[in-house]
Amino acid sequence: MLSTLTALLLILPLLAAGGIALGPARTSKWIATIASLAVFAVALAFSWGFPGWTDGSIAPSDLGLSVMPSLGINLTLGADSVGVMLILLTAFLMPLAVIGSFTAVVDRQKEYYAWFMLLEAAMIGVFLARDAIVFYTAYEFTLVPMFFLIAIYGGAERRPASIKFFLYTFLGSVLTLAGVIYIAAQHALAHDGAWTFDLAALATFASSELSNTQQYWVFVLLMIGFAVKVPFFPVHTWLPLAHDQAPTAGSVILAGTLLKLGTYGVYRIALPTAPVGGVELDQFIAVLCIIGIVHAALICWVQTDAKKLVAYSSVSHLGFCMLGLFALNSVGATGSVLYMINHGLSTGALFLCIGMIYERYHTKDMAQLGGLFKVMPVWSFFMVFFTLASLGLPGLNGFIGEFLCLLGCFSAEPNSVAGYPGLLGPWYALVAGSGLVLAAMYLLIMLGKLVWGPLKEPHHDAHATTQSGSSLPADLSPREIGILVPLALVCLAIGVYPKPMMEAIAPSVEKTLAAYPKLVDRYVQDGSLVAPRVDMGQGVARAQPVGSE
Amino acid sequence: MLDPASIQPAVVSIPAAIPSPEFAWAGLILLLPVLAAVLSTICGARGVKGKLPGAITSIALIASFVTTLMLFLRLPDDAPRTVHLFDWVAFAWSGTAPNTSFLAPFALYVDSLTLLWMLFVTGLGSLISIYATEYMEADVGKGYARFFASVAFFLFAMGALVMGGNLIVLYLGWEGVGLASYLLIGYFYTKPSAVAAAKKAFIMNRIGDLGLALGGFLIWTNYGTVEYDALFKAISSGAAPAANASAWGAWAIPYCLMLGAFGKSAQIPLFVWLPDAMEGPTPVSALIHAATMVTAGVYLIARMFPLFSLDPNALLVVACVGCLTAFVAATIGMAQYDIKRVMAYSTVSQLGYMFLGLGVGTTFGAVYHVFTHAFFKALLFLCCGAIMHGMAGQLDLRKLSGVRTVKGFGIISWTFFIGCLCLAGFPFTAGFFSKDTIIAQAFASGNPTFAWLGWVALFTAFLTAYYTFRVWFRVCAGPQKYEAGDEVHSHDDGAHDAHGHDDHGQAHGHAHGHAHGHAHGHAHSHAAAHAHSHDWHPHGPRWAINGVLLVICIGALLAAVPSYNGELQHKPNWVETMVAHSSAASGIPSHEHAAHGHEAGAAAHHALSFTGIEDVHTATSVVASAVGVLGICVALWFHLLNRTAADKLRAALLSNGLTRWLPLLLENKWYVDEIYHAVFRLPSWFLGHVLHFLDKQLIDGLLVNGGARVPVELGRLFQPLYNGALQGYAATMAGGIALIAAWVFWIWMHGG
Repeated sequence: MLSTLTALLLILPLLAAGGIALGPARTSKWIATIASLAVFAVALAFSWGFPGWTDGSIAPSDLGLSVMPSLGINLTLGADSVGVMLILLTAFLMPLAVIGSFTAVVDRQKEYYAWFMLLEAAMIGVFLARDAIVFYTAYEFTLVPMFFLIAIYGGAERRPASIKFFLYTFLGSVLTLAGVIYIAAQHALAHDGAWTFDLAALATFASSELSNTQQYWVFVLLMIGFAVKVPFFPVHTWLPLAHDQAPTAGSVILAGTLLKLGTYGVYRIALPTAPVGGVELDQFIAVLCIIGIVHAALICWVQTDAKKLVAYSSVSHLGFCMLGLFALNSVGATGSVLYMINHGLSTGALFLCIGMIYERYHTKDMAQLGGLFKVMPVWSFFMVFFTLASLGLPGLNGFIGEFLCLLGCFSAEPNSVAGYPGLLGPWYALVAGSGLVLAAMYLLIMLGKLVWGPLKEPHHDAHATTQSGSSLPADLSPREIGILVPLALVCLAIGVYPKPMMEAIAPSVEKTLAAYPKLVDRYVQDGSLVAPRVDMGQGVARAQPVGSE
Repeated sequence: MLDPASIQPAVVSIPAAIPSPEFAWAGLILLLPVLAAVLSTICGARGVKGKLPGAITSIALIASFVTTLMLFLRLPDDAPRTVHLFDWVAFAWSGTAPNTSFLAPFALYVDSLTLLWMLFVTGLGSLISIYATEYMEADVGKGYARFFASVAFFLFAMGALVMGGNLIVLYLGWEGVGLASYLLIGYFYTKPSAVAAAKKAFIMNRIGDLGLALGGFLIWTNYGTVEYDALFKAISSGAAPAANASAWGAWAIPYCLMLGAFGKSAQIPLFVWLPDAMEGPTPVSALIHAATMVTAGVYLIARMFPLFSLDPNALLVVACVGCLTAFVAATIGMAQYDIKRVMAYSTVSQLGYMFLGLGVGTTFGAVYHVFTHAFFKALLFLCCGAIMHGMAGQLDLRKLSGVRTVKGFGIISWTFFIGCLCLAGFPFTAGFFSKDTIIAQAFASGNPTFAWLGWVALFTAFLTAYYTFRVWFRVCAGPQKYEAGDEVHSHDDGAHDAHGHDDHGQAHGHAHGHAHGHAHGHAHSHAAAHAHSHDWHPHGPRWAINGVLLVICIGALLAAVPSYNGELQHKPNWVETMVAHSSAASGIPSHEHAAHGHEAGAAAHHALSFTGIEDVHTATSVVASAVGVLGICVALWFHLLNRTAADKLRAALLSNGLTRWLPLLLENKWYVDEIYHAVFRLPSWFLGHVLHFLDKQLIDGLLVNGGARVPVELGRLFQPLYNGALQGYAATMAGGIALIAAWVFWIWMHGG
């Protein structure tokens, strides 16, 4: 049963893409809507029957199809609790993004919706992959639909934006692939030519049999690709451009799910596979997180374009997410996973809100818009609501993830009581915490310009019309309200009762971080796990494996 | 520096809380306002044209008050009670260290401190809500529902803050009241000044919130819990916090919490948002920015007093900050012309007294002052609001005089007078008793630093009496003379006018001082008053406003009753008993001695010995009375009997190069806003632009795009015939993959 549902999760969107491509253009949005809703229903059924909520195990564990036996490549599918949550997030956002495109996209609808369905299949494929090659294939395949969505349906600078998006993330993930192949090759060398790409097997092998220096470099390779996707300072510059140019629904999916592929990759692959690298680079990465948080927040402050502001805020927010992960303790990593989901919800919703404005006024420039509460009270309500969710107001979804990320970072000290020892501490949390103040600042500046203040509308748009020529009401239409209400309800529900999610995430986190406490202790004692070579990059002396044998 | 030996942290035992599921109905105190908020929002969305939202909210808040009262009457006084409502942030993991879970259930912690706070919060909340049903009636069908939804939400958040059983629920309430405050300050959303003030309030509070969050983190890392009950148990068991658990020791906890308290309660350095918060409708100023929300910082420290009492130096900092804030805010209050702003600075100043009280160790004095202040300051604000309401938005005390004799303003003027007496600390009023408790403790503590603070507090009491009666003598007494404010037009236009004013004020105001802005305001008001003089008359309030004023006035008078008991019968008054039975009483250094000061120490020399009175309390009362009456007399002279003298004095000070700074400093609010702008806002804003430039030009432009050009150029080198974009990218990929392959090979060779 579970296997069938798993297969359906992948096959349904692919079938829908085919159906859209073959059917007439006027049916494509309806096929996409029905299919994405069906996928959501399947995802719900899947999570209902999912047995791994309490123990962090992967299910289904028996679904596999051997693709290249000689190289050990298998089409194995399954997810643990974190993966299931991200699948649910994807399947939840997709119908909203599709329905949100009804009036925004009128030309070349067939391709548009077909690409969306392919994108959904690819993203779910990433979260379902148990094999590194499957993972990588799906991971890379997400680029193609997104590339076309930006390049065809984007703004004025869509060409450079889409190309930069594609190349940047592609090149990054090539490095990740190199890392994976390196591990697999080492595995084959160590085991008489027995190749495997099973993620769990690779992780077990790499973390126990590779030398510390090997692990270190493997971690670097894996991290680069994921870091670009996150996007992590300083490899984040593709994101503002891509968001700025992408169509609204593209931005929703980009922020909502695609970025999570990066953090999920770090969580699922980089951290458990090469724990030595994770420990060795922990403080370095945390510092980059913090720089990213503050850097992007200050940039948000001076944005004049609402969409770019939200795009940069993603860079800042995902800094929190990564910081929580690299606290290397239960509190921080649980917070980080919660953050992935909550950021997807609230930022996705913000992009939808801004898209609704763009459809009406054909601008996102905050200098030309203002005081929209007067003409769009319903829209303003949602805008304020999701902004508050985004700035982490307790009682809404953003708070718990953010709070736990910071708490994890704060308590991640060598002799911490937070369940695991860690390498960060209060000073990291203090500086990162300034991001909370800055977030309030830039988000409220955005509200102060768009929602409050004297009414300001662009002159040439007395009667807002869509590209299709059909006019939208001044305030939100029932369709638009119907998109935002579920999002708001979910944000509220998670904010009020996050306990089931936290309890489901915690066991998975424990498995991911199982190797860390000992390594951190050793790192604290010795000052480094791969000294002296990596330290400051001095000398070329061979590193001594420090006891991972 | 304070000698730690001078305050001995008493080892305290706080009775363990009793889990009491039978009191789950106390959750109604929080639930009812939420329901009212939701219903009011629905009314707003459905476009209900009527006072329904006001009625719903008032009824819900009254019900919430009644529930609180029932809880107060039913709850046995033996021990604090905890009520577990539902699990909120709670999860566990398997680990080795002591902490294997994070538990922050949505639970209530009810002791007498909680109840005291909730009684006046819900009580004043209901009264002010009734007042607002009339006050806001011009907005029926427009912002009326939004207003009441926000007020109801505020009551929920405040309730969560006060009743929450752990620091995380407190944090929920803490940020929740900040949100309510944001929404209500920005209520007149078309006014840029209101929007800016709302934003400023939220951001300044967020700085404090960060302190509170860090304090919570530190408590968790040190004590392994954020729940009050477990925390107090850990403290009173005398067990040291988990030794060297953190780079920041347990010593940092009170300082972090302090930052949170100073943000919410508008103390130096985070006080500048509160005066600006007066942009909100006046009932909001009365409820949120005078009586309840701004006392949350006092609540936090009182609740966490067992922690603070471990560290005398932290308490010293609290006392100094409080005292300094009291003084600075009072001096600014003397020089403001907007009566609501005077009251706002007065609130900041009175909050300073409360922190002084906490710092010198009389949590009773601090909490009692919160209690009395809630009544008389709410009363004062509501009176200001009623005058403003009747005078079409006029708030300038130079343009109002003798309002007392205008028809319909009698009740306002005389309740206003009683509020002023309380604030000025006139003998035997509530404010007099509570303020004296604080000042007396400063002198009685036997600590020379505290005695100095006591002197400053006494001088501030003089300033307080002066600025309070400056307002009353100007506005209510004297010959009848008034000008309409700028709301003589329809309401919306009024808001737009105000916006115009503020633009001018901001554009020209700061550099050239007030003169310019006011000149403009004058001209405008005259024109407006002239144009509409035939159809504008001041209108007195009806029953909702008058009735509420009378009730709160009686409350302000009755707030002194506990002290009559205490002073005349030498019994602890019931507020003191309530504080003594809560966590706030714990660890107060030799509290019993100091508060009743008859046995030890007090008979010896104290700073007020020159009065010839041995008992330090009596001596303080006498001196403070004298000081208060003197302040009132000075105000009487300058602002009723000889009003030109005040202007002459100001002109004389301004014309003298040596004294010029004084009025300028006070009228420009010590230039604190300007300093913040120059020191924090401008540099960060500039940095934002620099980073944005670097992000685009350096990181993206030079490194990313430049890096991408390298393989493209290489590709061109090798394939001069094909220089289309696609080939370039293909070459990029090929080059990249080649490089990576080389790198991996290299690692393989060297790393293995």
